[in-house]
Amino acid sequence: MKNMSKATKPVIVIVLAIAVAAGAAVFLARQPDEAAKTSETAGTLDTKIVGGHFRGPENAEVTLVEFGDYQCPSCGAYHPFVKEILNRYPTKVRLEFHHFPLITIHPNSMAASKAAEAAGQQGHYWEMHDALFEYQAQWSERPDPKPVFAALANRIGINGAILLQDMENPALQQRILKDVEQGDKATIQAVPTFFIKGQQVHIKASIDDFVQVIEANLHK
Amino acid sequence: MKIRPTVIALLSFIGMIDALYLSMKRNAGPIPCHITHGCTDVLTSKYSAVLGVPLSWFGLAFYLTIFSMAVLKIFDDETNPVEFPFKVVFYLSGLGLIISAMLVGIQAFILKAFCEYCLLSASLVLIIFLTAPNPGRHKLPA
Repeated sequence: MKNMSKATKPVIVIVLAIAVAAGAAVFLARQPDEAAKTSETAGTLDTKIVGGHFRGPENAEVTLVEFGDYQCPSCGAYHPFVKEILNRYPTKVRLEFHHFPLITIHPNSMAASKAAEAAGQQGHYWEMHDALFEYQAQWSERPDPKPVFAALANRIGINGAILLQDMENPALQQRILKDVEQGDKATIQAVPTFFIKGQQVHIKASIDDFVQVIEANLHK
Repeated sequence: MKIRPTVIALLSFIGMIDALYLSMKRNAGPIPCHITHGCTDVLTSKYSAVLGVPLSWFGLAFYLTIFSMAVLKIFDDETNPVEFPFKVVFYLSGLGLIISAMLVGIQAFILKAFCEYCLLSASLVLIIFLTAPNPGRHKLPA
């Protein structure tokens, strides 16, 4: 009995410590944080950048260039703010989105980029772009996200089966890799990374900070 | 009071909270920094996972092992002490120190951004390694 008690004590301490550490981590993680900024490494973008998808008027005063990854939680967190900015400045701001899937940490990100491109083949790129971010939690951790992509395609009114077929088209991957190549040249290390007028901008995940950055660039 | 195992247990306990916090924050959007600049850069970079497994999970396994060894040593029978817990702590923290140095190097020279939670972890590993007695150099104390 004495021996058993001796062996049990460390186990009890270890289990209790795990529980207390988990509780402390949950408590800290739930604390309201000051909004984090997007990528803070300095960078510039070649203005002759090609490709990308555009949303908003061609003659907009400000083009917000985003390099993003559909599986990245931060990109998902920034997505509503980007949409809100486009709604608030419908004639002055346009979005130029480039794929930058970080496949080593987000295994479904390349497939998601292909799904967006495949939806673009059916004329619904931006609808799929929104759906991928809005329903990110439903597909991001799945071993095979394709059934969810097909369901999202049907949801936005395009053919899911055709989308899955189109995703196999090597031309789509080439387009995505071209974006990645440009991102690498701009030494992007994390996502989302935003540029305005060729300069990287650091924006907090808050609508107020987005508005401040856009206003500052509108009046330049 | 067994000073060394107690110190190592406390440090690895802090490390467990740090690693758990990072594991939770990883899938919850941008990660704020309070002291350094660039937590999101570091924690969403391609260096933040190995074969799809986040480094914070490896960190958690590391600190849990160190903590368990330290607790075993604290409850050790002083009349008949076992040596393996300190051996595990010494060699494992030595390996952890090498990996931490590589990760700090990646932050400094490749990412040019620092994550305070990662720097805290690297500091903890260093202190644990310095606190753990080298089993090759002298007889292990209790």
